[in-house]
Amino acid sequence: MTPGRRLSVGVLAGVWLLAAAPRLAHPHGPGASRPAVPGRQALSSSPNLGVIRPAPDFTLVDFKGRSVRLSEFQGRVVLLAFIYTSCPGACPLLTQRMALLQARLREARLLPSRVGLLSVTVDPERDSAETLARYAKGFGADSEGWRFLRESQERLRPVLTAYDEWTKPIPGGEIDHPARLYLIDPRGRIREIYSLSLFDERQAYLDIQALLRESR
Amino acid sequence: MRRGMMICGCLFAGLLTAGAALAEPCLSPYVKRLAGPEKYLYVSAVDADAKDNDFLAVIDVNPASATYGRALTTVDLGSAGNEPHHMGFTDDRTKIWMGTLLSRRLFIIDVAADPATPKIVKTIDDITALTGLHGPHTYYALPGRMLLTFLSSADGNPPGGMAEFTNDGQLIRVFKNPAGAPYAYDAAVKPQINRLITSSFTPLRNYSKPLSQWDMKDGGNTLLVWDFKERKLLQTLVTDPVPLEVRWSLKPGKAYGWTNSALGDSLWFFSRGKNGRFSTRKAADLGKGCLPADLRQSPDDRYLYVSCFMKSEIQVWDVSKPDRPRLHDIVVPGVSPNMMHVSGDGKRMYITNSLLSTMDYAQNFWVRLTHIGPDGRLKMDPFFNVDFTKFPTGPARAHDMLLN
Repeated sequence: MTPGRRLSVGVLAGVWLLAAAPRLAHPHGPGASRPAVPGRQALSSSPNLGVIRPAPDFTLVDFKGRSVRLSEFQGRVVLLAFIYTSCPGACPLLTQRMALLQARLREARLLPSRVGLLSVTVDPERDSAETLARYAKGFGADSEGWRFLRESQERLRPVLTAYDEWTKPIPGGEIDHPARLYLIDPRGRIREIYSLSLFDERQAYLDIQALLRESR
Repeated sequence: MRRGMMICGCLFAGLLTAGAALAEPCLSPYVKRLAGPEKYLYVSAVDADAKDNDFLAVIDVNPASATYGRALTTVDLGSAGNEPHHMGFTDDRTKIWMGTLLSRRLFIIDVAADPATPKIVKTIDDITALTGLHGPHTYYALPGRMLLTFLSSADGNPPGGMAEFTNDGQLIRVFKNPAGAPYAYDAAVKPQINRLITSSFTPLRNYSKPLSQWDMKDGGNTLLVWDFKERKLLQTLVTDPVPLEVRWSLKPGKAYGWTNSALGDSLWFFSRGKNGRFSTRKAADLGKGCLPADLRQSPDDRYLYVSCFMKSEIQVWDVSKPDRPRLHDIVVPGVSPNMMHVSGDGKRMYITNSLLSTMDYAQNFWVRLTHIGPDGRLKMDPFFNVDFTKFPTGPARAHDMLLN
């Protein structure tokens, strides 16, 4: 399958999975958590988001070749996801949910001035800059508000380690990796960690609002 | 068009394959699933006379292995008299957290590098100094974090509470139980409905004494319902004395579950009503003198397994009608069965027979296996019997288990 074809499948999968999520046992490989949620989750508008730890700083490169340093986002809330584009299930589902979150943030005029979305590939060998660009385009990513980042394996490894992430190739070309997203407050502290399979963009939006209220 | 259909077909087939991964009931829903049948069983082991070091035992549970059913190795905890008790995986299943009820030590053990030979990667020598709480009990994975319950405050008295840590053992925050419901024990989250329920046992001042000296009134009879995202206590529910395990229905979105009252010899049903409030009701009488020490579920949510520690039997309850359990089967695995662990495919259940050094009345400690038939009935495996009395350090009390 050509990279272009693989990507369109991934994007298609995201849309399809989002629609099918209520019926799927779990849309990911052995690296996944337990079954996905059916339909909507109960939400909380007053989340208690404790300080988990400082978000390790990093510098990665977006698909346009621009350096992106996490600490440059100080003053903004950041949602950081670790994905790879050929992931057949959870990643496109998650990315589609992030696309829905992006739409909400745009509507509220919070993107990119007060919130940044970052998706980091854990598979830089297959996810070239061109591949990431197509993937981002497929999900309608805002070029300033939602950055897709990569680096060489050598430079990426310490970033993954700092976030307690790891990768393990599994037969069939999939990659086992901890399925998490990190919500980082304007002071650069991790305040929430989401499981990919239980991620609800509506709750993430409420969590972002709570962090923005704190920083007023 | 045809090619598109083929792509969708491949995608769907891939998803179905992925869905075959094994989800063990009773683990946190945030814990990664096993990709296939279990190969190793980890058992927390208390040196029986508390003179030698406690350890974690690794049992070979791969039927294709030449050493099937035998202890492969032990991980020495480096000290004695800890009473290692329960354990829990981190969300990514790379580490086991194992704490102790009679010392203040907590061990973080790597099981990813080589699942057959786990290695302690961190020891927290004084978890009490760190948290102000004593006796960590339940180790519940959250994304990138661990939620622990504690049976007591630092002085061994109520209130107990909860503490959250990063996966590598950095404290995030502490919540103490409220004055009106100070006893703590288990915790379980139902993410889809944003609810956490905690249960209640007895504190160090009581459980550290021989059972004959226990004050049976020094324990809880409450389940606490929390708003999970807000970490806010919403309701205090009442049950028979000492409700232990909290088992949410495994069906996504269902807002009900069960707990076992150890001193009430009863099974309790909790559920959310139309008004959004939870209530409890006694769902089954387990028989006088049962002392239900553990409660487990089948992956299809059809059966509950109850270990009667004092009556030396395991009861199977059919919960097709969740609030009206029906006794389905009974097996006798040996004297004083306690902890149980059901495999991801729901076909096997491993059993140990030590509860607590101050409560045990058996002297022969073991790990045994029962097979679970498609009809939900149990059949003890006569060939699987891991003898815990013949370690180089002598007998050891086998308690909690995890599969890998």
